[in-house]
Amino acid sequence: MKTSDVIVIGGGLAGLMAASVAASRKQKVTVLTYGSGSLPLASGAIDFGSLENLPAHHPYKKIGLKACDEAAKFFYEVTEQANLPYVGKLSALLPIVTAVGTLKYSALVPESMNASNLANKKKFFIVGINGLKDFYASMLANNLKKYFPNKTFEIAKIDLHLLGGRDITCMDAAQLLTDNEQPFANELKALKASKDDAIIIPPILGVAGDFSRDVVQTQIRAQIIETTCLPPSPPGIRLQRAFMKYLQASGVRFFENSKVVRGITDGKKVTGVIVENAVREKIFPARKIILATGGFYSGGLTMRDFDQPREPIFDLPVFFPTGAENWSNMQLFSDKPQGFSTTGILTNDKLNPIDADGNVLFDNLHVVGANLGGCDKIFERSAGGIAIASAYKGATL
Amino acid sequence: MSDTKAIFTGDRCLSCTSCMANCPVMAAIKDYRGPKLVGPAHGRMHFSQEDIEESLNYCSNCKSCDRACPSGVAISTLNMLQRAEYYKKHEHLRSEDMLAHGERMANLIRKIPFGATFSNLGMSIGKALGVFSALGIAGERNMPAYAATPFKDAFNSIKQPASAKKVVLFTGCYINDNEPHVGNAFVKVMNANGYEVLIDKQFKCCGSPLVVTGYLDEARQHADNNIARILDWKQKNIPVVTPCTSCSLMLKEEYHELFGEDKFHEAATNVYDAFEFLEMLQERGEFNDNLKPLNQRLLYHVPCHLKSQAIGLPAQDILEEAGANVNLADSGCCGISGNYGFRKEKYEISMKIGAKLFARVKQHDFDKVICDCGTCRMQIHHGTDIKPVHPIEILAQAYQ
Repeated sequence: MKTSDVIVIGGGLAGLMAASVAASRKQKVTVLTYGSGSLPLASGAIDFGSLENLPAHHPYKKIGLKACDEAAKFFYEVTEQANLPYVGKLSALLPIVTAVGTLKYSALVPESMNASNLANKKKFFIVGINGLKDFYASMLANNLKKYFPNKTFEIAKIDLHLLGGRDITCMDAAQLLTDNEQPFANELKALKASKDDAIIIPPILGVAGDFSRDVVQTQIRAQIIETTCLPPSPPGIRLQRAFMKYLQASGVRFFENSKVVRGITDGKKVTGVIVENAVREKIFPARKIILATGGFYSGGLTMRDFDQPREPIFDLPVFFPTGAENWSNMQLFSDKPQGFSTTGILTNDKLNPIDADGNVLFDNLHVVGANLGGCDKIFERSAGGIAIASAYKGATL
Repeated sequence: MSDTKAIFTGDRCLSCTSCMANCPVMAAIKDYRGPKLVGPAHGRMHFSQEDIEESLNYCSNCKSCDRACPSGVAISTLNMLQRAEYYKKHEHLRSEDMLAHGERMANLIRKIPFGATFSNLGMSIGKALGVFSALGIAGERNMPAYAATPFKDAFNSIKQPASAKKVVLFTGCYINDNEPHVGNAFVKVMNANGYEVLIDKQFKCCGSPLVVTGYLDEARQHADNNIARILDWKQKNIPVVTPCTSCSLMLKEEYHELFGEDKFHEAATNVYDAFEFLEMLQERGEFNDNLKPLNQRLLYHVPCHLKSQAIGLPAQDILEEAGANVNLADSGCCGISGNYGFRKEKYEISMKIGAKLFARVKQHDFDKVICDCGTCRMQIHHGTDIKPVHPIEILAQAYQ
């Protein structure tokens, strides 16, 4: 097995970003994944959370604002190459419409979901699709009315002949619509919406780039806006495919089903990792490792015994709040974070893992994404931002 | 290892839908309810009460769902176990019987003088007359032609240098009956690396076509037979190597997932994919790198069943080191999945899944298409009129 310049462990947002950044710098990159990563379950919008007034152990303190800005710039490059335009910047958030009709504010937003012009629109058409599950146009309209009480709402139901067969998800509809956009475009035309109106639809405009959206939008005067949806989520799938396209074009080696079980180390260097398959182990040598295996939800952190969280590959020290009383916050929807969610690996400003005394454990191992501890990324809405910014930094060090 | 038995993995499902987002059959048609609902969800229910999920028969066992799963659920094998349950109470179609028993058919035909020639003729006439279609086999396809002499019969006439280092070649049905030249190439490569190749006539079909068609009891008989042989070779310290990636996946992993006993895992540790084995020689410094430079551009379609094995891409590495320029097709599943695409009612789905790969191959910016899997090669040939070869054939050319 040839030695890789960089091995990225994990194929979620952080792993794909790190691999893309490393490949763009002419590195020989290998990605090892176990499971397809959570992008197909994600909204496609990237939230950064707050970048100001952060405690010293917060991941952003190690990543730095410069890497955040550069990461956003690189992210735009990747998505543009896949015809998946994004809008927004870190300093000003843009609204997107959720599947239930609330507004959610994000930093980097797929252009197809950008709802920042809604206030200037005259009439909102909310379009439901016959047979599509988990999308309720009237509920969406009722909730959105709370934000826009003075607007006119019209609910439309479109039949794309999806019935027959399984219950149709947004992903199914998006796949069926790909290269077959015209029936949908015709239905939207029939709404007779003007250029001052908005047509709000579930995210069904294809699963690769904005090709289907381009076909439909060029025929419709009103702005078409996609909402978020339950998984599997086409905007998340589009983002995953944009990264995969970038990796394929850069010659990155991408190995699925490849569960890394431990590292090979030599002092403070990691010289390779070991993948365990059904019958034997295989060594993948590397000069540098990026750990992007995620948090509890992805198996990047595990906890068999209470108070003993583990990082299973390198057995890195894992930060977690001491004392069971600090572990969880009984008020799930309160304005306080969940202690257990701050569990993760602490690093120096090169994203090298450190122990409780601040000693660097491995200087060519960089920890990125949801592996990082010290903040509740869900509460802060910073998971996406931390993922791409730490990945960018880890890949450029 | 008992926790890798498929039936124990269903409870790990979080219903995250990653498998659905990666299922090529779901992307092609809306009749299939998808791996999540059919595999882990329904797969656990039907053992407690009789309940049939009809769309189960759409699963092609390509294992894209298994590779997408973050929790190690053996989704496709759960589907295959349910399929076997289904056929306990339902008759097999004639076409299913035929497609599952390719090895039996070949053996019958070999007993008739000039049987292979006549059956090849019969297959082309049969195709022209629509006989296959009437039997439930996709009439659009050519059935794979039989080689004049199966590899196992021709094997003894191959002159090999004797060596203390030996491997047993598990040919698999397709190499034995249809493409013995792949077996010849394997022997040439192994000889060049100082190994003498043995074959074991007691091996049966790995059972993959039986498993996907719901003949689980028969598959179990094949499994018991094959692993007894593999364990025998293991005792003699002789590895069993196969160039067929579906055979190797069945021997290494699926037997154990399906049947659960430790002996399947124990036998599996003596089984290697051909290029996996060559790469191990390389790592031990025992690989013969005295190769004629391969100035070829190769397009590599990586079979699903190789991706599932988590052994990297040793064929790409080795051929690149021999000077070839290897590009990955990166176009997903080819759609044929063993005998799936040969079924009349699955033909269209199979071709729809393969469309992306066909479009990539038709760009024809290479000298040859390479692929380790026999049925993938048939599908690419059928969809593009460009005939792919096994990567071991390319490597064999590099040894003078």
